[in-house]
Amino acid sequence: MGIKMTRGAFARPGTSLEYKTGSWRTQQPEYHHRSAPCHTACPAGEDAQQYLALVEEGRYQLAWENIVRANPLPAITGRVCHHPCESACNRGQYDESIAIHHVERFLGDRAIKEGWDYPVSTPPEQALVVAVVGSGPAGCSAAWHLVRQGYRVDLFEALPMAGGLLHSALPPYRLPRDIMQAELERLLHTGIGFLPGKRLGRDMSLDELQADYPAIFLAPGTQRSRSWDSGGATPSDLHVGLDLLKQWTSIGTIKHWSSVAVIGGGNTAIDLARVLKHAGVESVHVVTFQSLPQSGEQLPDRMPAIAREIDQALEEGVTIHEHRGVQRLVLRGEQVVGVELVHMKEVPDSQDGAKTVTFEGTESILDVDQVIPAIGQVVDPEGLGSLLNHGEFLAADNHGRIPGHPQVLTGGDARGDRGTVSEAIGDGRRAAAQIARMLQQQADPEAREDKPIVLEQLNLNYYEYAPRPEVPVLPVEQRSASAEVQGGLEQQQVHGEGQRCLSCGSCLACDNCWTLCPDMAVLKRSEAPAGEAPYVFDYDYCKGCGLCAHECPSGYITMQAEA
Amino acid sequence: MNDNDTSVDISALRNEQPRFTGIESGHRACLGCGEALAARLVTEAAGPDVIYANATGCLEVFTTAWPESAWRVGWMHSLFENAAAIAAGMEAALKRQGKATKVIALAGDGGTFDIGFQALSGMLERGHNVLYVCFDNEAYMNTGVQRSSSTPHAASTTTSPSGEARMGKRHLKKDIVSIVAAHHIPYAATSSVAYPSDIRKKVRRAMAIDGPTFLHIHSTCPLGWGHDGALSIEVARLAVQTGLFPVIELERGSVVSVMPIRRVRPVTDYLSIQNRFRHLFADDDQARVELEHLQALADHNIEVYGLRGEKADALDSEGANTVQRGGMQWA
Amino acid sequence: MLQALEGSQALARTVALCRPQVIAAYPITPQTHIVENLSRLVADGTLDCELVSVESEFSAASVALGAVAAGSRAYTASSSQGILLMAEVLYNIAGLRMPLVLTCANRAVSGPLSIWNDQQDSMAVRDAGWIQLYCADNQEAVDTTIQAFRIAEQCELPVMVCVDGFTLTHTLEVIDLPEQQQVDDFLPAFSFERRLDPANPISIGTLVSPDYFTEARQSHHQALENALQTIVDVQQEWGQLAERNCDALLNTSGPADARIGILTLGSIAGTLAAAMDRYTDNPATRLLTLRTFRPFPAAAIRQACQGLTDLVVLERALSPGSGGIVGAEVRAAFSEIQDAPRVHNFTVGLGGRDVPLEIYPHLHQAIRDGRGLPFAILDLEPDKLPEAAC
Repeated sequence: MGIKMTRGAFARPGTSLEYKTGSWRTQQPEYHHRSAPCHTACPAGEDAQQYLALVEEGRYQLAWENIVRANPLPAITGRVCHHPCESACNRGQYDESIAIHHVERFLGDRAIKEGWDYPVSTPPEQALVVAVVGSGPAGCSAAWHLVRQGYRVDLFEALPMAGGLLHSALPPYRLPRDIMQAELERLLHTGIGFLPGKRLGRDMSLDELQADYPAIFLAPGTQRSRSWDSGGATPSDLHVGLDLLKQWTSIGTIKHWSSVAVIGGGNTAIDLARVLKHAGVESVHVVTFQSLPQSGEQLPDRMPAIAREIDQALEEGVTIHEHRGVQRLVLRGEQVVGVELVHMKEVPDSQDGAKTVTFEGTESILDVDQVIPAIGQVVDPEGLGSLLNHGEFLAADNHGRIPGHPQVLTGGDARGDRGTVSEAIGDGRRAAAQIARMLQQQADPEAREDKPIVLEQLNLNYYEYAPRPEVPVLPVEQRSASAEVQGGLEQQQVHGEGQRCLSCGSCLACDNCWTLCPDMAVLKRSEAPAGEAPYVFDYDYCKGCGLCAHECPSGYITMQAEA
Repeated sequence: MNDNDTSVDISALRNEQPRFTGIESGHRACLGCGEALAARLVTEAAGPDVIYANATGCLEVFTTAWPESAWRVGWMHSLFENAAAIAAGMEAALKRQGKATKVIALAGDGGTFDIGFQALSGMLERGHNVLYVCFDNEAYMNTGVQRSSSTPHAASTTTSPSGEARMGKRHLKKDIVSIVAAHHIPYAATSSVAYPSDIRKKVRRAMAIDGPTFLHIHSTCPLGWGHDGALSIEVARLAVQTGLFPVIELERGSVVSVMPIRRVRPVTDYLSIQNRFRHLFADDDQARVELEHLQALADHNIEVYGLRGEKADALDSEGANTVQRGGMQWA
Repeated sequence: MLQALEGSQALARTVALCRPQVIAAYPITPQTHIVENLSRLVADGTLDCELVSVESEFSAASVALGAVAAGSRAYTASSSQGILLMAEVLYNIAGLRMPLVLTCANRAVSGPLSIWNDQQDSMAVRDAGWIQLYCADNQEAVDTTIQAFRIAEQCELPVMVCVDGFTLTHTLEVIDLPEQQQVDDFLPAFSFERRLDPANPISIGTLVSPDYFTEARQSHHQALENALQTIVDVQQEWGQLAERNCDALLNTSGPADARIGILTLGSIAGTLAAAMDRYTDNPATRLLTLRTFRPFPAAAIRQACQGLTDLVVLERALSPGSGGIVGAEVRAAFSEIQDAPRVHNFTVGLGGRDVPLEIYPHLHQAIRDGRGLPFAILDLEPDKLPEAAC
């Protein structure tokens, strides 16, 4: 039976809805959140793309809460982190990367200033108590994440104050003490039981801890300097980099030399070189077999120190000798009067590794009156018993589990394979999650590869070029041991960074798919659950042309073959 | 994981979209049809108090397979060559009835540049309060891609195929907007489906004018041009960014504004992704000459209309489609 | 009120009485006087309507169509080439079932070029799906025009009122032009349910597949057949109002016992009526003036021809290679009918050739000679023909 013909064959409005063009489809668009490179690159696990979106909406407190759900110390990391998020930022290949660490710092500072409460409730009295040893970044992070998950924490610290390496090794011109103390203090008031002056091996033993606590997170850091010599010779008054730095940060003075060679390419070497310079050492040399950072290139043998800090050190008059090693000490009696340098480089070997090679005939003498090795620290074995297993570090899996010790986890510098505050914070977060799983007898989560979305998967036609804001830096002549060198951004600039964010892999709610679908198969909704797009596909009509996916600025839509 | 929320009541949601729906889903346009999109954008911007006269063509065919119609506005299709005259009659009637309802004529390039040209000229000359929108997909697509006077030079169509002796269409694209503007009408403009906010702005501008107005929208045809439907916007955007399709506005016959091209792209960027120009990329002297010819035509447009952007501008070829979180750029 | 008026002027004033809201026209001889007179009425404020002076007949018909679709009463007029240029639109108007009225000032179709009267133009579009009414004189043209709007709007079909060019459009006759009130009482304000209305936005002019096109056509055909009754009813109503009676489909005059009949359309009827008064020595003849050609009133014709042995169909058009157009249709109307009259078919008066009173005795002679069986051009002057077929 047919339909009744109408007069003149007129038709009624919108009746085409009867015809489901979705049956034509061979591939369908889907909304998929894909990780932004800033997120996958963040050692602490922050999702900058998410909080930048909140910043753009002017929801600063929510943005801060978003950060602290991964990293409880944004005012600190916003200053000291080497921000791999910014190196990974897709916008860096378009014009200039988002100043993510400045946004983080701004939010951290704002939280302190406004007294925003950490988004957590105090764990109940009857909650299980977990022991955390060491209140550096890893320990603080683990303690925070445990509290967030409803556990009580006893946080043991050998020193009278919390902070660990933050306190002892980071010079105030990088991390002002008031900021650091304010942030740590606020964190410790979230329900963490802080127990200062309790040193493992002195005030309690590992066995006691194991007996008293169902789980223990060890974050002792690396307190012992690695031994150093040059052809068997050491300066008679050997000073080790980190010790000097600690001495200086705690008592504010440092021994005066006229000319110093600091050996090493890490942050300690650079920090120390700058401290020496501020303390009036006339000629400060950094000797490293690694390379100076070069913009745009990721050299495999690049110095691990933060590029910004290296630049500032150079500005301040520190001399850096890249690709050099110390061949021997030049001694007058027992007194150091110089070092013999030689060209030295990492050369890849056939086993996919690299070995450090010196080049004969490139020797030269550098006149210095002191040599300070800053080539790294190892774990102090005191109180750790068999855990170290004669190694320099605590070997652990990615969750922080130490093989053979089911109750004990570790993280931070003590692992030996970390080296930054942010990594330590990430370790603390992962270990806390693992402890929770362990205590709740849950299986390990499925390992999944989180490949970040790359620039080519975005549609750059929809973005406008916009420069990264200029950040105030203290002029060299005004720098001192305590004045913070790096300035921060104004609120307006921070908001601008939110706007500049490309929103890689996440819905911008830009309406492109809704606007550009020739088939009106994208419908907009006034409210959507958090983290979801405010759009849905109406597959009854979507023909699968792929236009929405191609024109999605942020790569949030992908085409999938029809099942 | 597909983040598409399946718990949503789709048909209820469809009825509460925060925009005016002039054309509904279920129309039978090809995948990625630029004309379907452009027409929808025009109806959205024009709003409900409009009646439409639609010339014969793809748009008419794919929207109204009786007993179904995709239109949610008063709409009439009469013939191929009389959209402007039908619209004129509607306008005369509404004027007589004292109604403010606007009349919009819709036609393709065949119905505008060629067979409907006379009726269009008459309507413009008589000063009817009609917005005439031409969806220019540069050939007779409804009948199977035959060349029209809008087909660009050197494009291959079924009646201007490329072969040993020919490099596609021998003649030039008719400069319709200049001809239309020469009627001394209050407003004539070009736009592109790649720039929805530009289309909206121009539709609204035309709607506000009591008199004949003309909007010429470059609308991609994946089938006729030979590109993937997913690239419909990309191709249209490149037509603008190369200078081959100038986006301009004329009032009373004079150019009053243009969309500047911030970053002028070589025409090959546009041509090389369409099969209708594929023969121009053969290792052939004539092909090389024709490629240069098309580049020269683009250069000429850029020079004549002053399309080269002096500095970055929110309304230039790069700025006009910049997205914002929350989507307000399309409003 | 009786007054001497040129046909075109009378028509223009009649159209004005019908209160059209949109008039669209393009000049063509011999329609021009109608449009000129309408323009004058608009210019002097007598007629308040949108007069759209278009750039072609194609647009004239299209503008009228657009106006109707938008809900206004519309009118247009044309002739000859204009009608043919409109042809595509005429089909469209009818197929979309749009009520509008068109006056066709009948004229020959080029080439060779002729600006003078015959009915080739309207005959060329007889299958367009319009109602076609032919007028014998200007009074009838006036009355028919008024009725045409009623019929069109009641049936939702377009009506073409055919008036012989020059013969009627350019001649003075004494006309009883109705009063405005009479027309207003007869013709209600235009109201068209299928008009395009933003509040009820239908789609007109869809694409119909083979599954439904036949049914669309059949309903159109049926609508035209049904219109026969409407035409009769409307004529009756107007006849009473105007106190002028004539038959809606065809007018019959002459003695009831006549055995010979002549069927014709348009102004020839007047010539024949006068000739019958003059040439009284010819056999008794019944004159049938066909007013409604579409829909074709086959039953009415059969009824009116009862008792005839011979029926002449005299027309002003030609289907080359076939013969008369109306003649063929009348013959078809008698097929399978017992005691049907013999149908003689003559074409006369092509391209403005005068049809004088003398045609009448010639016609009777031709019947006796059987020259119209099946068809002949009666007023052909063979000595003007070229030597060989060319």
